[in-house]
Amino acid sequence: MNTDVQQYLDLLWGMTEKELRVRYKYTFFGFLWIVVNPLLQMFLIGFLLSLFIKQSSEQYYFHLYTSLLVWNFFSLSLVKATPSIVAERFLIKKSMFPRSVIPLSIVLSNVIHLLLGMGLFGIVMMILKMMPGGSLLYILFGLCLLIIFTCGFCLLTSALNVRFRDIKFIIEALLVLWFYATPVIYTFSLIPQKYIWIWRLNPMTSIMQLFQYGFINAPPPGPAMLSINLIIIVIVAFAGIRVFRSESSNFDDWV
Amino acid sequence: MNSAIKLTHISKEYILHHEKPTLVEKFVSGKEEKFVALSHINLTIFKGQRVGIVGANGSGKTTLLKIITGITRPSSGVRKAYGRLISLIDLDAGFQEDLTGEQNIYLNGMLLGMKKQEINRHIESIIAYADIKQFIDAPLYTYSQGMKLRLGVSIAINTDPDILIFDEGLGVGDKQFNKRLRHTLKTSFRDKTIIIATHDLELIKYQCNRILIMEHGKILHDGGPRTLKLYAA
Repeated sequence: MNTDVQQYLDLLWGMTEKELRVRYKYTFFGFLWIVVNPLLQMFLIGFLLSLFIKQSSEQYYFHLYTSLLVWNFFSLSLVKATPSIVAERFLIKKSMFPRSVIPLSIVLSNVIHLLLGMGLFGIVMMILKMMPGGSLLYILFGLCLLIIFTCGFCLLTSALNVRFRDIKFIIEALLVLWFYATPVIYTFSLIPQKYIWIWRLNPMTSIMQLFQYGFINAPPPGPAMLSINLIIIVIVAFAGIRVFRSESSNFDDWV
Repeated sequence: MNSAIKLTHISKEYILHHEKPTLVEKFVSGKEEKFVALSHINLTIFKGQRVGIVGANGSGKTTLLKIITGITRPSSGVRKAYGRLISLIDLDAGFQEDLTGEQNIYLNGMLLGMKKQEINRHIESIIAYADIKQFIDAPLYTYSQGMKLRLGVSIAINTDPDILIFDEGLGVGDKQFNKRLRHTLKTSFRDKTIIIATHDLELIKYQCNRILIMEHGKILHDGGPRTLKLYAA
């Protein structure tokens, strides 16, 4: 393999290992926290909503768990990666390594969490025979889109946050709104047809639907939804790479 | 002679921040105060030269080193570097207190541009040079400050660098380690390019064969060891 690529991958993986090691050092439950968090949220939200809405069924709890796993990955990655360049200012000032490993290693460490969480859930779903045929393909496709979108978005926000420290707060506020604009606590079928265009502008809709189909056999995204979402994902990914490239050589001046 | 570093017409301006930049400031005020850290530097450093940079605080020494290492992009001009370049700036930056000495060697080595395989090859000599064999599996927060700095130096000089850069001299570790480092520079790194920015004139006399005197972002004098007299005077 090309030595530059090899070196980049070594460094990316080294930083990811550091992320994981540092996060779970001296914790008793260690990696179990990956599952505990969405489980707690699932029971809480599921119970609360069952008080108001007569929607509560097993299916709904599974829907919640799937969606929360995906959403938590996305929101945690963004919250941690956006200020990451500023947080690692000492590294920036120390040597000339490819800066993109800083946000990307955070995303990658969360990908590993996500895979573990999904693996455990997948086993349960397979035992319950909930997963439809070909579901693995849908899950993998969803995973690809999710990772590309998250990486692109994190590159964009982490680069911009170096110069404009407001970005971090904008992202935190945006994520709260975004959570409700994504079918996490509600199912896609509840969205009124006349407002559907709002969800078409939100790439997380298709991504959620792909996972929801794969794990619990909910309807997959329609062609209009998927294609518009896809275009946005590609645009965000390219914008992220471009902005990060052009900004990264100036990082030292601003941190 | 082959050149190791070639700077052509390098200038560096910093925008002065009085407070943290905000989005509003960018779009509303639009007025920026500038500070010229380096102006029109032309400098070629040849392979095997040992360059000492002296100058008062704020004369541009550190900015020049940052341009040479590629950490900062110049506002204008062209920088070329040939060979692997290692800077011993902020030695303990990038160390993770919760990780062990060995894990830190890998992480730091990779940040300095080594591949994992290379570190595997060098790890024994890194540990030996830093003299921390019995602590290598202990987390870094148990290390003394001196041990961390020794480890930092040891990783850096074991990366097979072609060009070594020191900011603020070699004031690292205790007397014994300092002696070992000076000795290493004189022997194993005899043929390498070394650039040192410092106020320590004794060190420069001992290590360097080319002196740059800087003032107000410009190179005032450039010459052999005798040039130092112009600075001392």
